[in-house]
Amino acid sequence: MIFRKRLAAGLCALSATLAAGLFPAAAIADETQAESPKVELVLDVSGSMRATDIDGQSRMSAAKQAFNEVLDAVPDDVRLGIRTLGANYPGKSKTEGCKDTEQLYPVGQLDRTEAKTAVATLSPTGWTPIGPALQAAGKDLAGGDATRRIVLITDGEDTCAPLDPCAVARELAASGTSLVIDTLGLASSDKMREQLTCIAEATGGTYTSVSHKDQLADRTKQLIDRAADAPAVTPTAVDGSASCSTAPLIGAGVYSDREKFAEHRWYRLNVADGQELRASVSVGADRAVNNDYGVLLRAVTGDRELVRGSDADSGRTDVISAGLRYGFAEQDDADTPASHIVCLEVSNSFSAPASVKTTPGLPVELTVGLVSAPDDASDVASFGLGRGWILLAVLTVTGLLAGLLWGWLSRIRVAVWRTN
Amino acid sequence: MRTTSRLTAAVLAAGAAVLSCAGPALADDTASPSPSPSGTAAAPTEAGTNFRTATAIQQGQAATATASTGDYLYWMVPAAAGQNVTVKATVTLPESSSRHGSATWRLDVYDGLRRRQACAAGHPSRTAAVEATTVELRCRLRTVRPWSEAWANDPLPGAYYVRLTVTDLPDQDLGLPASAEILATAADAGGSKAADGELAAPLTPVEQAGATLDPSTETTATPSASASEAPDSLAAPDGGWSPGWWSDRWIWTVAGGVLGALAGVAGYNFARPSRRRQQQA
Repeated sequence: MIFRKRLAAGLCALSATLAAGLFPAAAIADETQAESPKVELVLDVSGSMRATDIDGQSRMSAAKQAFNEVLDAVPDDVRLGIRTLGANYPGKSKTEGCKDTEQLYPVGQLDRTEAKTAVATLSPTGWTPIGPALQAAGKDLAGGDATRRIVLITDGEDTCAPLDPCAVARELAASGTSLVIDTLGLASSDKMREQLTCIAEATGGTYTSVSHKDQLADRTKQLIDRAADAPAVTPTAVDGSASCSTAPLIGAGVYSDREKFAEHRWYRLNVADGQELRASVSVGADRAVNNDYGVLLRAVTGDRELVRGSDADSGRTDVISAGLRYGFAEQDDADTPASHIVCLEVSNSFSAPASVKTTPGLPVELTVGLVSAPDDASDVASFGLGRGWILLAVLTVTGLLAGLLWGWLSRIRVAVWRTN
Repeated sequence: MRTTSRLTAAVLAAGAAVLSCAGPALADDTASPSPSPSGTAAAPTEAGTNFRTATAIQQGQAATATASTGDYLYWMVPAAAGQNVTVKATVTLPESSSRHGSATWRLDVYDGLRRRQACAAGHPSRTAAVEATTVELRCRLRTVRPWSEAWANDPLPGAYYVRLTVTDLPDQDLGLPASAEILATAADAGGSKAADGELAAPLTPVEQAGATLDPSTETTATPSASASEAPDSLAAPDGGWSPGWWSDRWIWTVAGGVLGALAGVAGYNFARPSRRRQQQA
């Protein structure tokens, strides 16, 4: 009987999940008429691009050929722009040289022939103002909710100190919705690699060291495709506060925030009886950090800790994450489900050498899910069933004893009946 | 004598009926949750670069990706309760001539709540020498349970994130081209791990943009706003998220019942008043 009830309940649950699964999908499809992604290719046209060390060609001509291939392959729904750095000023003045960045092709619907013609005119000329070029590229891509990606192709480190391109990249990433900078290095100098990996790390991008023309084209195409395939959901920026009482009220969904070293950030949400809260948090290591680090996520109601999730690790990493879940049981007597204020506290134990800037904070991604009906397990074993030889022995011996007892009882009964 | 034999026959018949009914169900069920053949859809050739962009793959599907050394590659694979999931990654390293030293590659597995999951067996981390051409990593998770207490870190049905990256290498080797193949397979953990309970919903990623609410108006939570459905890209494994009602515990328990009944009959037969003596009387 119980089993039949369970089976029926299972079928009901199945049809419910099927129905629920169908409708939100349709709703999401309606809602997210996502803006087409924006990509800007930033190409170094500094004097050093004349060096002939890529498949026997100059870096510049290799880049031009790769660009032709890439421009042919750009997906239609990507808005692409091209920016150059060091293309115009051949002189010795640093102030002039460091202003030398120009938008070669504006971000928008791509006219392949026009873009190719523009690229063909380039010839290696000036300085390597990476920082200013990134700043300008950030402006080119500004506006709208589209996912944004910068692909930086260069053969040398920035020559425009004190503006640190790595800091520029981190500020760009912190200033708006998802911006990723991928870097491709055409030479093998330690300084350049350090700078490019730092830029990539600061924005959650990648660094590639290029030594062949095909590799340059393939990787650039791959990065543009990644922009095109970006997830439809962009996190909502939220500003967590230092205590539970002043924390911003959030619901289910994906959020982004920034948290400094050893800072604690609080977020508040309402969870009703019969709902389960699921939260996970990822704290990104977007700069050079010390070897050991960790993250702690706590769910607190009033002054009582409900549950916590934590993780710690050491070594090279992009993020460290933790998650938790907590369900409030359904109250049978209440007509309307009571609501609980739950505060989420996110803290991290990252640290960094003194030379590393601490602002803006580390990127935090918080996802919150609310599912209805808290789960429950009535028994540890499946349907409370048993298993194993001991179970068989126990049942057999019990049966045997019961049989013997019943036999003896009837024997006594017969004996009593006979004597009467 | 006649009554006992009739009783025995009835008990045996009942037992046989239960067993024969369970038999086909067993055959059905064990066939489906085992690793599905590399699916109808083409295997992905790209990997994601963070949790949100993780590429969804199916069990038994060999996905590939090309990357630069130092990239963080993410995939997402579904796992159901009662499965033992094994993730295997094969990294094809950059040409030895371009490398400057040994590199340590690591495979990390996280559950749908991004909680790190332990590898019960396998080599999730390995150091490749300069002359090596490939490195193979493997991680077998603990058995996925259908339910656990909120405070436990047990593996639960839902998505599992797989992260592959290099953790230690000479700086000069960053950015060199590498490629990876990833394969997640699942085996049925069997009746000894068949547990009860069920989650309200599998632990799947939230695919919904957040919204900051106005505290003055939103005083109560709205249960209708709850949403945490599996995203389209992440389909449940063939047998569904939960293993269903069947487990070999049914055979054990029914067999125990049958043995108990038989033993009962035998015991009664042994101890009951002898009929002959009754007749003599």
